[in-house]
Order: sequence, then C-alpha cells, then structure tokens
Amino acid sequence: MDDLNVKNQPALKQFVPTPPRPPRKSEKGIFGTIRHRCFNSIGNSLLTLCVATVLFYLVKHVLDWAVFNAVFIADNRRQCMDISPDGACWAGVISWFNGLIYGRFPVDEQWRVNIGVLLGLVWLLPLMSKRIALRNFILLSWIGLYPFVGAYLFLGGRFGEELGLVHGAMTCLALAFLTIIYANWILSSLGKKGLNELFVPLVSRLVERRIHLLSFVAVWLLVALVIASGLSQVSLEPVPIERWGGLFLTFIIAGFAITMAIPVGVILALGRRSKLPVIHWLSMTVIELVRSVPLITVLFMAVTLLPIFLPADMEFNKLTQVLVAVCLFAGAYMAENIRGGLQAIPKGQYEAAATLGLGYLHTMVLIILPQALRMMIPNIMTSFISLLKDTTLVSIIGLFDIMLMARNIANDKDWVGMHTEPLVMISVLFFILCYSMSQYSLNLEKRLKVDR
Amino acid sequence: MIQSSTSKPQKRPTKGAGLPSSTTQKWLSLLNNDSSRAVILQAIVLMLVLFGLWFLFANASENLNRLGMTFGFDFLQVTAGFNISWSLIPYDPGMTYWRVFLVGIVNTLILSFCVIVVGTLIGTVVGILRLSDNPLVSQLARWYVEVVRNVPLLIQIIFWFTVVFSTLPAPRQSYHLGEWLFLNNRGLYVMTMESTLSWGWIVVLGLALIAALYGLFRWSKPYYTLSGSRSTGFYIGLVVWALAACWAIWSLSNSTSLSVPTLQGFNFSGGAFLPASFGAAFVAMTVYRSAAIAETVRAGMQSIDRGQHEAAFTIGFSRVQSLRLILIPQAIRSIIPPMTNSWLAATKDSSLAVAIGFPELVSVFMQTSMNQTGRAIEIIFMVMGFYIFISLLISYLLNKYNDSVQYKVR
Repeated sequence: MDDLNVKNQPALKQFVPTPPRPPRKSEKGIFGTIRHRCFNSIGNSLLTLCVATVLFYLVKHVLDWAVFNAVFIADNRRQCMDISPDGACWAGVISWFNGLIYGRFPVDEQWRVNIGVLLGLVWLLPLMSKRIALRNFILLSWIGLYPFVGAYLFLGGRFGEELGLVHGAMTCLALAFLTIIYANWILSSLGKKGLNELFVPLVSRLVERRIHLLSFVAVWLLVALVIASGLSQVSLEPVPIERWGGLFLTFIIAGFAITMAIPVGVILALGRRSKLPVIHWLSMTVIELVRSVPLITVLFMAVTLLPIFLPADMEFNKLTQVLVAVCLFAGAYMAENIRGGLQAIPKGQYEAAATLGLGYLHTMVLIILPQALRMMIPNIMTSFISLLKDTTLVSIIGLFDIMLMARNIANDKDWVGMHTEPLVMISVLFFILCYSMSQYSLNLEKRLKVDR
Repeated sequence: MIQSSTSKPQKRPTKGAGLPSSTTQKWLSLLNNDSSRAVILQAIVLMLVLFGLWFLFANASENLNRLGMTFGFDFLQVTAGFNISWSLIPYDPGMTYWRVFLVGIVNTLILSFCVIVVGTLIGTVVGILRLSDNPLVSQLARWYVEVVRNVPLLIQIIFWFTVVFSTLPAPRQSYHLGEWLFLNNRGLYVMTMESTLSWGWIVVLGLALIAALYGLFRWSKPYYTLSGSRSTGFYIGLVVWALAACWAIWSLSNSTSLSVPTLQGFNFSGGAFLPASFGAAFVAMTVYRSAAIAETVRAGMQSIDRGQHEAAFTIGFSRVQSLRLILIPQAIRSIIPPMTNSWLAATKDSSLAVAIGFPELVSVFMQTSMNQTGRAIEIIFMVMGFYIFISLLISYLLNKYNDSVQYKVR
C-alpha cells in the first residue's frame, strides 16, 4: 500500500482553492447591504416598505401612548383623563408600586423582605470563589437551610412562641453555616485554614476517625449557639402568610419550585431509569400523570383535596398547598429533562464506575449526575423560565401574587377600571426577567459547547 | 466518600468475627446479595406506597363522614340548575351534571382545536419568516416570538379580554360587516344558514362531492404523468362533477333560510354567537402557541444541511418551490416530535380560559359544579382523567404519524 502511494504521489496535484472573490462594490458597506438584502427584487422591496410602515406606526403609537402622552403624576384616574385622555396613566401604577412588589406586607416590616432576598443572593456569592472550603455544599445548603432563614424573616415571631423550636434551631444552624462560609472565604483569601478546622487538634486526640467532620460539627454548633443566644433577644413582628403578596410572593413560589424541582426531578428520573420494576413503574406513573394534566387542575387538586386526604387536625394555609402542588409539577417536568441527560451519558461511564468499585449511590452522585445535569443546563433553564411564567396561575385560586395585585388596581376606587397600565407593567417586568434568563441560558450553552 | 466506602468491607469481618451467629450472617448475606436486596427494597417501597394510600383513604373516609358527605358518581344524574353562557351542544339549566361535563369537554376541545389549527399555520409562517434574508422581516419575526414567549400566557389572555374585547362598543354601536357579521363587547354574531335538511345529510353530500373530485384526479393521474396533458375522459368527468355540485347547491339553497342576527332590545338574536371570552382566549392562545411553534419550525428548518438550500437554488427552484419540495419534507421529521408536545400544551393551556370565565371544562365542572355539589374527589378524578385521556390519545396518534414520516431504514 505504502509503495503504491509513493508511486502515485508525483502524479497527484495538490488542490489549491481559488481565493474567494471579494463582494461586488454594490454589496459593500451599510447601504450596499441594505440594498442587497432588502431591495434586491420588486417583491422584496414592497415587503420591506410594508413592514417598515407597519413598524413605524406601531412604534409611534406605542411610544405616544406609553411615553409622550402618558401621565406620571396624578391623584386619581379622572385627573389622568383630564390631563391626557389618550395616554397611559402611570400614576396609578406608581402609587400601587409598593403593593405590586410587596403585596399587603406591612410597610414598616418591608425591610425584612429586602434583607431576606438579599441574604438569599449573598448566600450564593461565595460560589464565585474557587478555593473556598465546603464549596460543594453551598448550593445544597441554599436548598436545605436558606428557606428556614427566609421563612423566619418573612414570618417573624419569637422562637418557641409563634415560631416552632425546630424552625428556630434550623434558622440558627443556617445562619451559622452562612457565617462559617464567609469566615472561610475571608480566611482562605488570607491564606489560612478554614474556620471548621479550628478543633482538629483537639478532636484528633479524642477520636481516630472523621476528625474533620466532627470538628466542623463542633464549630457549627458553637456558632449556632452564639447566634441563637443573640436571636432569642430580638423579636420580629409576626406577619401572617395571608399578607404576603406581589412580586415577593411570585418569587417565593418560583424560587421554591425551582429549588425543589431538581431534587424531586433527580429522584423521579433515577426511579424511572431504575431496573427494579416496582420503582420504575411508580416513577413513570407519577411523571406521566402529572405531565399530562394542566397545572391549574393540579393547583385546584391541592387546594380542595389536600384538606380531605390529610388528617382533620392538620392546619394548612393556601400557600403550603400551592407549594406542594407546584413542587410536584415542577419535579415531574424536571425529571424528563434529567432523564434526557442520563440517557445521553455513554455506557462506558457506568462501566468505569463499576470497575472502580463504586456502588449505585456513589456512581450516580459522583459520576453520572454531575455530567447529566451539566449537559441539560439549557433545558433546565428553559423549564425554570416556564415555571416562573406559570406562577401567575396561583392568582386564579386566589393568592395575591403580582398578577392578582395588578388586577386589583382596577378595583381601587381612585383607579377604578384601570386595566391596561398594570397589565402592561407586569408584562414588561416578566419579559425582562424571562428574556434575561433565556439570554443567560443561551450564553451558558455556548460556553458549555466551547468547554467540551 | 470513596475512602469511607472502601474501608467498610475491611472493617466488617473484623468486627463481626468475635460472635458469628449463623442467623445474623444469613441476614447480612441476604442484604449483600444484589437480587435479594432488590426484592427487599421494592417490598419496602411498595409497602410505603400502600401505607401512604391507606393513610390518605382512611383520612378521606373519616373526613367525609365528619362532613356528612358521601362518595359516588350518583350526582351526575342530578339536575345542575345553573346556566352556561355558551355551549356548542344544546344545554339548559334543567339538564344533569353529566351534561355539564360534556359541555365542558366540547368547549375545551373546540377551543384547543381552533388554537392548534390557526396557531400552527401562523407559527409555521412566522418560523419561515424568521429565516428570511430580509433583515427587517426576520427581526420583526424574531421580536414577535421573543415578546410573546416571554410574557406569561395568563397575562396575555387577561390583556386581550380586558383591554381589547371588553372595550369594544356596546351591542347598539357594534362594528358590523354588512348585515351578516356584528362585533361588540359581548362577542361575535355571525349570520348562519338554517336548513330543513338534517346536518348529517349535508355533511355526507359535501364529503361525497369532495371524494368524487379526489377520485377523478387519482383516476386521471397515470395518463397525466405519462403525457403531460389531461385526457378527454377527465374533462367529461369534471363537467359531470360540476353539474352535480351545482345541483347540490341549488337543492340546498331551496331548503335553507338565512338566520340573520338582529338587534332586539339590548341584545342580538338569531345567527351564531361566539362570546368575547372565547375570542380573547382564542386570540391570546393562538398568538402564544404560534410563537412556540415558530421556534420549533425554525429549529427544524435550521437542522437541514445548508447544501440542500443551495442544491435547490442551483437546479433553479424558486424559494417557494424549494421550501415546498425540498426543505419542508425534510424538516418535518425533526419538527413533529416537538410539535406534538406543543399541541398537547395547547390542549392543556386551554384550561387557562377559566380566568376570563370562558365555560370550558375546568370552569364549568371544576369550579361551578364542584362548588354546588361539593364532590371534590369525583370531579377532580373525572377532569384529570379527561386530560390524561386526551394527552395519551394525541401522543399515540402523532407517534403513529411520526413513524410513517421518518426515514425508512431497511
């Protein structure tokens, strides 16, 4: 074979492509491009002109209504009408702005909502640092611990009185964890060992195994005790759940659904791919049943059937019922996404893990799931976006989320009949949120492609 | 974690070596055996699920007893006694809850059917426009999709209802097209034909005419493909067909009378009526669905190799020809599975019309009927059963169709 090739080589001419011709002069530059792509034929020119005219009038009307003829300062709708009859009356939206964001949360206590949301973001901030100890547990703690802190801030009340002792203990533990993470972040940037290593010398004298874990637990409990003694001194004004509302409630429901969707989805997806028939069929039934009914029926079911199917002495508020329903719904959809990821993992990965002697749990947690989740990030983001949009449905069963607050403005006696402006306002808000999420997911998709 | 798992098997024998009781060893070996462990695990899960179900049903029966309610579908035979604002099948308040259920199903189906048909048409056009060379057109299509997709459907439905359809003029000042179409804030009134013949005969006649025309074309096709022109027999057949069609229309027009909507008092009577809530739900859902389908179509079209466009262009196909003959037949294979999901979603989304009071299944059955009878379990069971049935049916049919269009690999 080699000989043959060598013999033939002189006869072969190397292929030299002709360099591409430069574009015609008429197609160069901005005007050239426009002429080439918009006015290259009579039909296309007509189309361009039609679209341009429609677009011009559309933009002009929208801008006239929303900006130039709009009223920003007025006391009521009648006054708005007097100033400018054919413009938007943003004054109503502005006067209800607080309600749209916080619902009927008491005005004096709204700082707690701000702090709570801020704390949630601050919790995730250490993820940016690469070297910090316990980094893998930040997301996990955000799912498992942050809700207690959030609920404490939003609900208020004293430990052991309005608020259960378990809840109080979990709040302290959560805050302690946050403190340790931040202390570790600072210490690691100073080049020192983490706070959780404080007791290692002491512990290593007492026991032989799991020194680091025990040391961490000791530090954690100690910090939690300090925080508990501090928190027991303060008492926050209790706010009943019925007064939660607005964008704040939308975020709570969407946030809860998003955080719970992944664990529920992972369990259901693994169950569906399980070789054990009982578990396989159970997971498949749950996934398919939930996915084939509309969310609104699941919500109705939660609101009407949960009180019937659970013991009579169990007290339920509407929000808990809705959270249970949304969690189940989001989990079933997420399960299908994750299953797609699991199916895309080559069999060699499972075999390699088996060769290393890893059991089922270790194979999944250490090898398969990280790859599957990473592969499915764009799809997961898409489900998150649709979850955020779907949270508006809770207004149908009477939770005062941003949608119902916006519709309520039309019932206010000062702004009676004002439907358009609040709806436009929340549409724009949702558009900004969802569009930025989808752009972020596209960006992520590109980055992941480059990585591989 | 890896360390701990490897250290376990090393320790276990040394720990248990002191007191090796035969029964504990047997149990341990059972736990370490894969197949027996699988059985044990499944048994535990099954028991937990059964226990959970038993717990739920015990609570339910206790709660129902306490509230003095019973379980059963006998309420379906009870007279409903409430009015439904719009129904395609005949309904009056004297009818039973079973009839209410059927009315809800028919209204849901008609709404989702309209949305699916129109939404798919618009979505396909927008999806193709997004790939247009003209930047103005493609950007317009792109922003249409982005805006519609990123605003929740519920907001859009309520927007169309409260901002557009409710602000139409009152019946007296309604917009009208001649004497046969009136649009006002209650809805749309259209002139209809009422025939003394039964509808069944008219449909059969129409279908027979269409079938005859189709048969004529099929019959003449071999000659046409060979010669390039139609045979004389074809033209004779066409004339006969036209005469038959004329006769059918003439006899039909003799037996039909027009029902024109006329203003009586504050409302119209006669003609067909579509409520404003239907219009709002239909427009909002169609727009929303079309954006989703446009994305599906665009992704499908982009999945085709660029060489196919160029090849079609090279052999002199126009843009429409290359779309119709080359691109769409190939794209349809990758479009169908997501399109199925989109149609299923459209059926499920039709339940959102409850927010503006359109009398579909959730509204008439899950809200009104449930409030009146209090039979929550039965009603939710029935409604969910309906949706599950529809989902399974649509995905089954489309899977069949999907199998028939996929590449045949022999």
